[in-house]
Amino acid sequence: MKNKFGSVYFSIFGLIVLGLGIAELIIGVAARSFTWSILEISGEFLLWKGIILFFAGFFYLSSVKNLTEIHQLAKNVMASVMLWTIAGMQIFAIITESIPGGEEGWINTWEGFLSAYSPPYIPALILLPFSLVTIYYVYAREK
Amino acid sequence: MLDVEQRWELIDKIAKRTIKFGKYRHTLKDAIAEITVKPLTGIPIAIAVLYGFWAFFVAFAGFFTDGFLVKLFDMHWLPWLQEVFPAGKESWLYYIFVGDPLAENCFEAFGMLTSGLFVAIGVVLPAIVAFYLVLIVLEDSGYLPRLAVLIDTVLHKIGLHGYAIVPSILSLGCNVPACTACRILETKKQRFIMRTILAIFIPCGAQLGIMLKVIPETVGWVILYLLIGYFILGFILSRIVPGESPELLLDIPSYQRPTFSNVGRKLWVRTSSFFTTAIPFVLLGVIIINVLYLTGVIDWLAAGLGPLLSGWFGVPKETVGALIVAFLRKDLAVAQLSAIEMTKYQMVTSVVLVSIYFPCIATFIMLLKEGGAKGFLGSLAALVATVFLYGGLLHLIWILLGVA
Repeated sequence: MKNKFGSVYFSIFGLIVLGLGIAELIIGVAARSFTWSILEISGEFLLWKGIILFFAGFFYLSSVKNLTEIHQLAKNVMASVMLWTIAGMQIFAIITESIPGGEEGWINTWEGFLSAYSPPYIPALILLPFSLVTIYYVYAREK
Repeated sequence: MLDVEQRWELIDKIAKRTIKFGKYRHTLKDAIAEITVKPLTGIPIAIAVLYGFWAFFVAFAGFFTDGFLVKLFDMHWLPWLQEVFPAGKESWLYYIFVGDPLAENCFEAFGMLTSGLFVAIGVVLPAIVAFYLVLIVLEDSGYLPRLAVLIDTVLHKIGLHGYAIVPSILSLGCNVPACTACRILETKKQRFIMRTILAIFIPCGAQLGIMLKVIPETVGWVILYLLIGYFILGFILSRIVPGESPELLLDIPSYQRPTFSNVGRKLWVRTSSFFTTAIPFVLLGVIIINVLYLTGVIDWLAAGLGPLLSGWFGVPKETVGALIVAFLRKDLAVAQLSAIEMTKYQMVTSVVLVSIYFPCIATFIMLLKEGGAKGFLGSLAALVATVFLYGGLLHLIWILLGVA
């Protein structure tokens, strides 16, 4: 049952990750940007991020058959690690940009600090919470 | 005394009584270790790791340099020095230590206490710390040997093997320890190729930090151009240098979590050498270049080398000062380039020239020490040929694109 849920979940999730990876690649090659609601596809290293998301999606999809088998789960974990690398570096970049004060002073104002964390966000950041399901499967296997 | 057969019998008896055989349970760590060395899965993972490496480097260095240190040096340190420096603004002492009296930022001032300190502490130090921090985490986690296995096939094309990734990555921090790290390669041929291509084509962490500040939009293209050169020169050298290129035999450790104390200790050892070896060279470099300007040597050299620089490489003759200082510190040379008026394409060519031109003096000494006189002269010959051909090629590309 657990296996079936995971397979369905990561099939859908993998397709979304793969799709967003392709979108980042296309927009990166065309040197354009795209914003929709809280989602934004633009910024530095867009091609790199697109390639990584594309392969992460591919790894998720290739891991769905017999997900709890150790080699399949390893692919799933690495797909999540790739996603976490992009999202983690984005969070780190937001934090480092939110603290310095720019022209006005050494430290940012409270409003300036908070506005750095406001949307829109890159795809990997939006996908991040949904990828945490992997952790459940890792712990479930260890138990 | 036991003969060989009796010894083996004894070993068998001891083994039977002490070793317990059971079924090995494959862990998730083992499975992850396997997929990180298989090309189909390992290469995308390596791309993600290298992206993380670069993104952390940019964000960390940017936080300290752009967030605080630029402000500290440009808005406080420079005006204060310009105000309190005891020698008059027309004096040679002021020129050497503070630099241009009209400068509004430390990049343009080019005095020992302004640009010298700003480059060393304000730009290079955060870049070096960021670089070594990630490198140490990758080393201690056990990922680097896997990267070596993954890249083995590619590096065989240039007469090296997977382990050459260690000096190559170390070189992105500093070329000096990377020259020593070439000892892990087995044959003289491999060590010569590695030392030569890293000294020419791999920019050090200090230089990367400055490049990121001076040409942020084109730094990726510059690195790509250097990377292509790394493989082209490696391929040529592997064909013309006599000797063997053996296969890789590597013991891969299991993945493990890096400990804070180990990472901290290694980081301190590597960055503390920056204070003792790099900073004095940066400060000395500014003094020498300012003295050469004051005595008219730079103008004389610029006039003499002008036709070569502007004709063959397509860069302004004023870059001669930066090329001289590059012999002491390449980061300082790139910083000096930023003060010269030129087009974007000329700037890219100048930065590439500074990178592939003579390695800094510390690397030079290491090339001589590690390769002996013969190896050193060989590297030097490859270097001179590369500067002229590869530097000229970039100018040709700009001409063909119609931007030169």
